[in-house]
Amino acid sequence: MWKTLLFALTALAVGVALGLGSAWTAVSRLSFSGRITDGGWTTNLNTGSTAADPYTRAAVARDGLLALARTETVYFNRSTDDAGAPLDAACVYRLKGRDLPARWWSVTLYDQDQYLSRNEDGAHSIDATRVVRAGDGYEATVSVTRGDAANWLSTRNAGKFSLSLRLYNPDPAVQADPGKAVLPVVEKVSCAGGV
Amino acid sequence: MGGTLLRWLLVAAVVHGAAVLAAPSVIMGKAIARVAQGASGVNRFNHQPPVTPQSRAIVRPSPDLAYLSCAYDLTNGPVRIRIAPWDDYVSLSLFAANTDNFYTINDRVMGDALYEVTLIRKGKPIPEGAVNVVESPSVKGIALERRLAPSAERFALADEARKQSVCETWLASEPARDG
Repeated sequence: MWKTLLFALTALAVGVALGLGSAWTAVSRLSFSGRITDGGWTTNLNTGSTAADPYTRAAVARDGLLALARTETVYFNRSTDDAGAPLDAACVYRLKGRDLPARWWSVTLYDQDQYLSRNEDGAHSIDATRVVRAGDGYEATVSVTRGDAANWLSTRNAGKFSLSLRLYNPDPAVQADPGKAVLPVVEKVSCAGGV
Repeated sequence: MGGTLLRWLLVAAVVHGAAVLAAPSVIMGKAIARVAQGASGVNRFNHQPPVTPQSRAIVRPSPDLAYLSCAYDLTNGPVRIRIAPWDDYVSLSLFAANTDNFYTINDRVMGDALYEVTLIRKGKPIPEGAVNVVESPSVKGIALERRLAPSAERFALADEARKQSVCETWLASEPARDG
């Protein structure tokens, strides 16, 4: 009898583990309705929408709770550089872009826990009101130290970090098709230890 | 062995579906509780300080925005929300218990005067004198004011302006009309 009970409990535990694991993976990795990628940046057209499917709702609840629908704001996220490698605070990156077609835009850096990284550098975000422009665009250094960069996103204590791009009151063309927006590039410059 | 595998898969499928379906409401429920705790109750705005690395109640907050959050509860009737004007972007957004952003309005529509919204439970009577009535699909949810304030100076001004913003229970003495 004990053997049977133990067997049943083991089956239950394995099933629960498989179920939770597959749910986490599905929400994290699979492409569901509305998810689009633009130059390494990802967005979901159904974020905040009442039309969102269960997986999108779960992903938004976990990674972007209280996000606005795209008629108000389009959010893009990325956790890899232009070569597809994970963004890592051990490396230095160059972010280059132009003003985006929206009333206001920003690029914000989050640590691996999805919050602002624990440092007092005051460089968690660059935005349309404060970015220093050069020519027809801007360039920012994404690194632990600022150096002589005009714009800086600090990666101090950020670990494997990610970036969020916000377009508030996006132009109608972006609302209709966010995949056509020309978004900033993120190039790796160097890594500690020459990785 | 085949039967065991089938049992594993059956349990896994049920847990998978339940986890995906329940996650939004569970996570939102915790967020509603945290916002209510921060405001010392429901139907009150929580005047949040500037977003810093210590701000860990809601994931991926913007350090460029001044947030006011209110955990609304329509159990005892409608809720009145007033948003103070601002000389830049300001919005009110409403989120249902399942995370849906079912209503948003910004300064382009609100104009430069105090803007009032009456939030009622879907299908319930509308209070006499209510303006800009919005129906909530759930009894509980979160009302969020976002005010663009990317610098310390702008945040100080936003903090002053938003003192006029209100989230409050519609007084019981105010009569209701069918609607």
